Amino acid sequence: MAADKTPSRGAAVRIDRLRKTFGSAVAVDSISLDIPAGSFVTLLGPSGSGKTTTLNLIAGFLSPDAGAILFDGAVVSDVPTHKRNIGMVFQNYALFPHMTVFDNVGFPLKMRTKLASADARTRILETLALVELNGFEARYPRQLSGGQQQRVAMARALVSHPRLLLMDEPLGALDKKLREQMQFEIKNIHRSIGTTFVYVTHDQTEALTMSDLIVVMNHGKIEQAGTPRRLYETPENQFVADFLGGANLLPGTVAAVAADHFGVAVEGGFTVQVPRDRVVANAGDAVSVLVRPEEVGVALTEDRQAGTECVAGTVTAVGYLGDSLKLEVAVAGIAIGAKLARVRGLSIESGQRVYVSWPRASARLLLRSAR
Amino acid sequence: MSGRLGRLAIPTGTLLVMLYLLFPVVVVVLISFSSARFLSFPPPGYSIQWYAKLLADPDWLNSLSVTLQVGALTTVFSTLLGVPAAFALSRYGIPGRSFVTALILASLITPTIIKGLSLYLFYVPLGLVNTIWGLAAAHTVSGLPYVVINTIASLRSADRDLERAAVIHGASPLWAVMRITLPIISPGIMVGAVFAFIQSVHELLVALFVLGGVEKPLAVKLWAGVRAEVDPTIAAVSTGLIGMAVLAYACAGAAQLLSKRRGLPAAGP
Amino acid sequence: MTVPVADPAPARISLDRALVPALLLGPTLLWIFFFFLWPLGLMVWQSFIVKDAFSLDHYASLFTTPIYARALWTTFEISIICTVGSLILGYPVAYYLTVGDARIRAVVMILVIIPYWLDYIVRSFSWLILFGRRGLVNRFLVDVGLIAEPLQLLYNLGSVLVGMIQIMLPLMILTLFGAMLRINRQLVAAAEIHGASPWRAFWSVFFPLSLPGVYAAFLLVFIISLGFYITPALLGSPKETMISQIIMLVATELFDWPLASAAGVLLLAVTIAVVIAYNRTFSIERLWGGKEA
Repeated sequence: MAADKTPSRGAAVRIDRLRKTFGSAVAVDSISLDIPAGSFVTLLGPSGSGKTTTLNLIAGFLSPDAGAILFDGAVVSDVPTHKRNIGMVFQNYALFPHMTVFDNVGFPLKMRTKLASADARTRILETLALVELNGFEARYPRQLSGGQQQRVAMARALVSHPRLLLMDEPLGALDKKLREQMQFEIKNIHRSIGTTFVYVTHDQTEALTMSDLIVVMNHGKIEQAGTPRRLYETPENQFVADFLGGANLLPGTVAAVAADHFGVAVEGGFTVQVPRDRVVANAGDAVSVLVRPEEVGVALTEDRQAGTECVAGTVTAVGYLGDSLKLEVAVAGIAIGAKLARVRGLSIESGQRVYVSWPRASARLLLRSAR
Repeated sequence: MSGRLGRLAIPTGTLLVMLYLLFPVVVVVLISFSSARFLSFPPPGYSIQWYAKLLADPDWLNSLSVTLQVGALTTVFSTLLGVPAAFALSRYGIPGRSFVTALILASLITPTIIKGLSLYLFYVPLGLVNTIWGLAAAHTVSGLPYVVINTIASLRSADRDLERAAVIHGASPLWAVMRITLPIISPGIMVGAVFAFIQSVHELLVALFVLGGVEKPLAVKLWAGVRAEVDPTIAAVSTGLIGMAVLAYACAGAAQLLSKRRGLPAAGP
Repeated sequence: MTVPVADPAPARISLDRALVPALLLGPTLLWIFFFFLWPLGLMVWQSFIVKDAFSLDHYASLFTTPIYARALWTTFEISIICTVGSLILGYPVAYYLTVGDARIRAVVMILVIIPYWLDYIVRSFSWLILFGRRGLVNRFLVDVGLIAEPLQLLYNLGSVLVGMIQIMLPLMILTLFGAMLRINRQLVAAAEIHGASPWRAFWSVFFPLSLPGVYAAFLLVFIISLGFYITPALLGSPKETMISQIIMLVATELFDWPLASAAGVLLLAVTIAVVIAYNRTFSIERLWGGKEA
């Protein structure tokens, strides 16, 4: 593998109050974001969230209605696409069908640089080695599998050592196993190349696996941006909590405010304690209590340990997933999902009366927004 | 339409309609090879005397030349104008795009007699009557819609990401259009161009007004011959016209096939 | 986020963004203006001129002179019959194309498209050969003994219609076919599963859904029929004179350009009126992939 490790060869990208509308629809709603040089950033969100539009704005395929995009402090919003010196991997790969793999990968070099052909050849072969396609130079795209085409697309995007690499849901067309394998490979390439990656996907597992920074988008706005751990463990609103991983969101009202916790009256008639974090809430506020399913324990007897919340309910659904068991328990009219590992020998049936419990410290208070 | 009778009715009906549509072709082609001296069907025997007569007749040859010149000019103008127009309409949100499109397509449904008459009124003071360029300019108006429609359809089915991939990796937008997109849509453009050409070859009424003098295209001469109804020379001309059309469409089809072979995702209409 | 760079830049439609489409589209629009719209304008203008003064005399003349008025009526009559005839013959063929299997469809499609390789003169001319006094049909009938004298099959309404329908059929079939393809055939299957016979299913599900397409095809064929010249001129008697022939006659034999222009304007006006009706069902936006109205 080529040891072409120039640390932080990537550009720092800043998006400043970027806005784009199509007719009366606002696709990107004045968002601002700082992408550190050399990082792997994922724009994550459902379709229509504005993530692809944002990517197209960074690429230059669209012009913003307001706001600016800067690479390393220099405004690029006015720079035409072909002069931005970036690379892109498209969803359908967009390989030039009438060119060989070699010519496809060498395309950016031909267009951008005046590299002597011997140097260009070396660079092309190096990049092909990086994506593990040595020996494929003479083939045509139609002779390659989906996964191989994807790698050629990556090689083409990387060959001229761009300061920024954009990826538009590149793994969408691949099957599950291949997708998971490619996720690791892309991450490895990122580590060895060091350029800034901006990745768009709607798949939260992909985002969690690969990113240094995840930007969750919805309706053209940024819901929250942060590391995978931060977004997962301390989501700031319901949307982010629900989008990343499973989530139980118990609706209720703040009944009491103490020094280190909130008392929340959950609809359905029981009260739970939720630790105070940086969330500001007053008595009477409508809130949701977030409890991740993997934190929920299910037992036939009540758990009276200190620091544990425990309520009684009835099992309404059981799903066997091989490595885990998914349960749905109705507690005072609210469905609480639990994900239990190590299920061997455990036998729980629909209709059983059980006790669900979770460590108080694992719960989280989220304000209930109108969205 | 239940039962066996119903099942047969439609295919049979279709067959009869097909015969209705095609019998005339067969008739004309067969007569063109007739050994008789007048129009009789079926021909008593077969010969190529009428084709020989045609090829020896300077009047007919001149008409052929005129037709080909007008046709070629029409095709070139229609393509040079129509392809950029199609790009403009497809890719830019032009205000009043529907109106502009309707304007371009308007000549398709405008009765040709009106086109002929109005162009004559326009050309007389300009001295453009009885000129090949004048007729070609007129035919271009009618050929444009075909090129525009086919090009727009091709652009719609072409994968725009290929162009974007080229641009983001350093190609100028113009380069990407010329070297990536145009080759992909060229079969579709060709179909449009062929329609424009054939439309010009077949057109009669505008030609009667604008180029009906000594230099006249085949359609005009054919029309005079058909009214006189003398001998199967007319049939030979008609068959020749059919052959020209077949050849033209075959070329377009071949272009499409060739482009597929080379792996280009041929974006056809 | 740190200090913003500056106030967000307002939308800038840079000059070249407007320039490019203008350059691409401009020449075409200019061409259409000079070689289509302006001449039409001249024609309209001419139709209102009598000795350098504005007048409606020519239009009056068209409606009051028997020959011309007849031609207006005949044009309308023939066009309607031709369109209806094409519809009746073409609908089953279009239906067959829609539901038939792929091979049959390919063959029939080619056969429908072949006539486009022929010009109108050829197609009309061939009927002369078939239906003339010494033509195939007459000779066959005489030889077989069904008749003693050759029949006058040509130069009447029938021969004109036979010629025109033959020319309009491919367009009718293809337009109907295009519309029929969009019909969700699962609806027909749903009807059959719930008890409708194939005929009932067709009549109460497929046919009504095909009506917008029928309407559009009807208007399209009608518009084009209005402007026919070659077929009625070649296959018809003076009684079947259509308006295009009047225009040609008045222009090239009477040299009465204003009168010819007036007739042209009338024809154009009717065409435009029908187009507006057509546009109600089948708007241009569909070209851009808009959803069906």
